[in-house]
Amino acid sequence: MIKRELTFLVALWKANLLAAMEFRAAFISQAIGMFLNDAAYFVFWIVFFDRFQQVRGWGLSDMFLIYGLVAFGFGAAVYFFGNLNGVADIIMKGQLDYYLALPRPVLLHLLSSRSVPSGVGDMLYGLISFFFADQLTLDAFARFVLGALFSATIFIAFMVLVQSLVFWMGSVQLLSMQVFNALLTFSIYPTSLFDNSAKFILFTILPAALIGALPSDFVRSFTWQKLGLMLIAAVIFLSLAIAAFYRGLRRYESGSAIQTQV
Amino acid sequence: MKYWAIFKTQLATRLAYPADLIAGSLSILIFLWVFLQLWRTTYSASGSSVIAGLSLADTLWYLMMTETILISKPRLARSISEAVKDGSVAYLLNKPYHFLLYQLSAGWADGFSRLLFTALFGGGLVWLLVGPPPDVRGWPLVFLALLLGWLIDFCVQALIGLLAFVTEEISAFEWIYQKALFILGGMLIPLDFFPPWLRNLSQALPFAYTIYGPARLFVSPDLTRFAVLALGQLFWILLLWGAVTLAFNRGMRWLTINGG
Repeated sequence: MIKRELTFLVALWKANLLAAMEFRAAFISQAIGMFLNDAAYFVFWIVFFDRFQQVRGWGLSDMFLIYGLVAFGFGAAVYFFGNLNGVADIIMKGQLDYYLALPRPVLLHLLSSRSVPSGVGDMLYGLISFFFADQLTLDAFARFVLGALFSATIFIAFMVLVQSLVFWMGSVQLLSMQVFNALLTFSIYPTSLFDNSAKFILFTILPAALIGALPSDFVRSFTWQKLGLMLIAAVIFLSLAIAAFYRGLRRYESGSAIQTQV
Repeated sequence: MKYWAIFKTQLATRLAYPADLIAGSLSILIFLWVFLQLWRTTYSASGSSVIAGLSLADTLWYLMMTETILISKPRLARSISEAVKDGSVAYLLNKPYHFLLYQLSAGWADGFSRLLFTALFGGGLVWLLVGPPPDVRGWPLVFLALLLGWLIDFCVQALIGLLAFVTEEISAFEWIYQKALFILGGMLIPLDFFPPWLRNLSQALPFAYTIYGPARLFVSPDLTRFAVLALGQLFWILLLWGAVTLAFNRGMRWLTINGG
């Protein structure tokens, strides 16, 4: 069963890559553009720590790590599951019909039927950022990849969860945009900046700390507790997302729109 | 007069959906709250109440203004490039108005509608967090500087949008420009905190005249600062408008229209 779905997923990714290669120049320019974009944004932290050296124990190398991990995880999420930010829009426009008519898991098919080329630039930037984070060991790199995997999983799950509200609310475009922005904004900041009530929010209602701070802490020093926490969080958010999506799907009404999937 | 009519029509369209505008402007609260956490910790860690001439309250009001300018400024590069890519530029060209000035009028209406709510929410939050805003007598000058800054931004965005004549896809250029505003424009951090060489470089570029200049004037309003800023802004507007005209005319020569 799992093997079958994995084969399907790999076939989809292959098809997405082939489609992107048809517009090779656009693909490459978006990937390079995003890489430069990430690098340019990071100049802020270089300037900041050049002036202030350390803030509550956080220095530039910590920022390289958290920023790299979030970029790598986010890049992987939007490259391999490129529709993660378009779920609500597809449902609202009645374009789910296409996926419902095919004998594959609807949510998985929906999420992975598109690739965002700029994700490659994010992943590449994330890797390079990791190399500047003073964590150059094979162990740390393995933890970086694992941490980014959890980060991406929680990010995708939370976006699906929020956008599934569209089945009940009718339109969640602005809400999902705000959540998307907030998740990205908060995930690249160290939790030591925030007070306890804010930390509580960032570990639960808006799980940005589970996407950035916790995995990057896990890369710095391994403990079973951190690994367990990331695993539990990923399982909980993924289960909630799947449950919300399929529960909402029962309320879905087709718009009978004629569509083509290119 | 016709551009004023375009402006009014677009403004009325935007104001017809206030809930959408309000919700869209709420993102400033998230950013300002994160900035408050960052800078409160930084000021407390540095043990100083004033850094590079700015107190914590000054920094927060400065960031409120930079965020307001950036969030509400018209987003024209995309609409210009879309018109070029989908060919609708051809339909707009034979209308009795200039294509770029049409974009400017419509874009500014969008910008003004967002400016109102963003400034209201952002200002309200910062007032609650760090106290009252800077001297209200400086606000008209700040508004003028903001408009001139938006004109510089319009020219740069038009240049990026017109790049669609050559490259079709302009996302990468938009991202880089946005980050130039974030860093060299002083949106994320006041240029006063930069090392001298980077501050000098940033102040020589147009990005600082769009964001940093008006925001810094808001925190420390005075006539001399305004005069220097406005002169610099006018210089960049003239230079960039020349480049835009050149790019537009060249783009028109490249334009090929198929079918009808």
